[in-house]
Amino acid sequence: MTVESSAGGHRTRHDTVLEVDDVTKHFGGIGAVDRVSLGVERGSITALIGPNGAGKTTLFNLVSGFIAPESGTVLFNGRRIDGKPPHAIARRGLVRTFQITKALTKLSVLENMMLAAPDQPGERFWSVWFRATKVRDREREVRERALDALRIFALDHMADEYAGTLSGGQRKLLELARALMTRPTMVLLDEPMAGVNPTLGRSLLEHMRQIRKDQGVTFLYVEHDMDVVMTHSERIIVMADGRVIAEGTPDEIRRNQGVIDAYLGTAGAPT
Amino acid sequence: MGPAMNEFVQLTVNGLVAGSIIAIGAVGLTLVYGILRIVNFAHGDYLTFGAYMAFVANVTWGLNAYAAAATAIVLTAALAVGLEFGLWRPMRRRGAGVTSLFLTSIGLALVLRNAVQFEWGTTPFRYRIDVFQSYDLGLFRISRNQITVVAAATVLIVGLGLFLARTRIGKAMRALADNVDLAAVSGIDTDRIVTWTWIVAGGLAGLAGMLLAVLQASLNPNSGFNALLPMFAAVVLGGVGSAYGALAGGIVIGLAMELSTLAVPFQYKEAVAFGVMILALLLRPQGLFGRARVV
Amino acid sequence: MSAPFLGAILSIEFWQYVAVTAGIYSIFALGLQLQFGFAGLLNFGHIGFMAIGSYTMAMLIVHASLPMWISAPIAIATAMLFGLIIGIPALRLRADYLAITTIAFSEIIRIFILNSVRWTGGPQGLLGFATEYTDFSRSAGRRLSSITHIGFDPDRVLLVLVWPTVLLLYLVLRKLTRSPWGRVLRAIREDEDAADALGKNPLAYKLQALAIGSAFAAIAGIFFSYQLLYLTPTEFEPLFTFFAWVIVLLGGTARLGGVPVGAVIFAVIFAGTRFLEFWPLSLLDDGDRAAVRLIVVGLILIGLMAFRPQGIFGKKEELLLDR
Repeated sequence: MTVESSAGGHRTRHDTVLEVDDVTKHFGGIGAVDRVSLGVERGSITALIGPNGAGKTTLFNLVSGFIAPESGTVLFNGRRIDGKPPHAIARRGLVRTFQITKALTKLSVLENMMLAAPDQPGERFWSVWFRATKVRDREREVRERALDALRIFALDHMADEYAGTLSGGQRKLLELARALMTRPTMVLLDEPMAGVNPTLGRSLLEHMRQIRKDQGVTFLYVEHDMDVVMTHSERIIVMADGRVIAEGTPDEIRRNQGVIDAYLGTAGAPT
Repeated sequence: MGPAMNEFVQLTVNGLVAGSIIAIGAVGLTLVYGILRIVNFAHGDYLTFGAYMAFVANVTWGLNAYAAAATAIVLTAALAVGLEFGLWRPMRRRGAGVTSLFLTSIGLALVLRNAVQFEWGTTPFRYRIDVFQSYDLGLFRISRNQITVVAAATVLIVGLGLFLARTRIGKAMRALADNVDLAAVSGIDTDRIVTWTWIVAGGLAGLAGMLLAVLQASLNPNSGFNALLPMFAAVVLGGVGSAYGALAGGIVIGLAMELSTLAVPFQYKEAVAFGVMILALLLRPQGLFGRARVV
Repeated sequence: MSAPFLGAILSIEFWQYVAVTAGIYSIFALGLQLQFGFAGLLNFGHIGFMAIGSYTMAMLIVHASLPMWISAPIAIATAMLFGLIIGIPALRLRADYLAITTIAFSEIIRIFILNSVRWTGGPQGLLGFATEYTDFSRSAGRRLSSITHIGFDPDRVLLVLVWPTVLLLYLVLRKLTRSPWGRVLRAIREDEDAADALGKNPLAYKLQALAIGSAFAAIAGIFFSYQLLYLTPTEFEPLFTFFAWVIVLLGGTARLGGVPVGAVIFAVIFAGTRFLEFWPLSLLDDGDRAAVRLIVVGLILIGLMAFRPQGIFGKKEELLLDR
């Protein structure tokens, strides 16, 4: 879906993979997300920032199907996904990670990865019995792909360990690797670097860049570290009090008075 | 006033009586559920224990009804507190989760019920209380045991209401039941509140058990367990953790069970209670008085 | 489970009876193991599905004159159908509500059985469904006797039917739980939202686990009917669901092989305290023994939860019970 945009003072043609249009959700009278509209360009790396309580995670929940919006629409690849359950949205190519990692601790690291592979007929009851050969072959392929992916993230040595034995930073990597196993079109990352040491965090960002380059995956990520955001995103969306207050390139955001005001209440102006 | 109206009024009276017993039992259940997140499957057997303690007091020791009631209340409260210190608290300290505690309560239920059966057998017992006198008030008949139950229940409900609304402990209990995390950060001594919760829940259960046996004019080791599911229905209907909700829920369940006999054979009374509970869970899981929780 | 029986202490008949009972409990508990151990469902109404299996088959034979070979599959399908009917609304509830709802369901079933006297015989029980089976059992017994030169009474024939079924169902579950389907189930068990976010539909999988487990309960119910040769509602009280839970927990959640072991231990304790006469058991009468049995079961349950929640064969890392 292409739209014309006048952001930043020049007209450009975008291919918008995710379009959020006038979406609202209240919790007990508070507008957690209040008439939010935004668009994410295909193949871009976009950061979503804002003070705590701005509604970023709620927005993620709305887009990924964990909450249904009260009003407004969400379009992914041109088709409506608002009101659809998370598994349906994931199957359409939009996956997300969670602020508090959901590594499945009672499964091994490898099983976590293999779980995410999208076309394993063995996940259907009847195929286990009547398509046993196909299931076995596909398991082999999936296992290979999973091990390759784990190698890239330097987690392959933990493949057969319970995911519960991974450190916090390793779990973040596993969640990203797992999300990518689904061969997504777009990934929503909720604070992918929270609690992760800076070296690991930088490697995570490098992975994102590489994957975007190799596979054209679009990334939208929530982040609080301004250094990271300013240097590692092409576009930034700023939320506060449930609304989008600014959108643009890092330079534009740095100079935006509204953004500076919003942040003066918390950590000071973004640098 | 035709006979149909008479029957309706009679059933309503019966429903209020039965409902008040369910209500008293349900309050204890909901407080424990709300504060400790324990579904205490043994609660029904706390009732049975209370009923048998009253029996011992009344028949074995020869005390009057009031003393027997006091015995039931005190001893069941003691049992509840004893189990808290001997079983629940150590398990919680070791990190037992809600499922684990639920299963433990099932084990406890089996032990309590069968210990009672081992000691007193399965033959139904009766109190030495004159409860068979029946009064015809025109609109309906009411028997002395029903009056006893209603009188006791009213006193109890009023007392409980005052306790929960006016005393510091009572207010803390309500706050804790409503929101454990909030209460924890507000500096309330949760351990002490928990102990008090068991005292209240145990005492109420003991009395409810005795009243149940008075109403049915007999007690057997299974009496309390049979009342457990209607009590759960009352808890669910009223909203988990809400003491007032449990009281209201108990009355509603009692009324529903009795009035349903107008349409459905009386053997299905319990099925009606369960049906009401299932409907409540499907349509309004937070109950009549609970807040919708963001899961 | 009861059967009038007057055996001596170590008679072969006694142990056959224990073995048949253990086999029936194994099948029953394997179904629950799938539902709880692998799907994480707190199903406390399992006995209700067994009741549906037993009574549906018996009623079809008695009232509709259908042969056993048709009634049994219909009974199993009916139990599965009820699993779906209950599951679709109930599985959306959180764990503790699901537990209470399923108990309520199994009690509603029992109350209906108790009061539909015309169809189920009510409290007096249902008889007369076993003629076809008894004939079959007798002829099978004769044939087996002629091959093996050992006598084959009905209990022994049932033994030969039950335990191969246990093995078959165990192998079926083993394949299922090790398959990608099983992997999704285990993921849902631990964190529904994580599985959802990866494209798996939690409700669909939970329903399948519920339906399959209910089928197992029905199969156990069918064997149970033919062990007893009559049915009464008292055999289908919530107590028996709790027995299945103890067996699953004893063997170890998510440990399929632990189920038959737990079932045998259970059956030995049960039948042993019912029929054996050595001291100190001989001091107690039947009623007291029943009470002691159940106290022991309760203590086992508490003990497991307090000291060894992973059961005999379970792994601590896969413990589900710390939620």
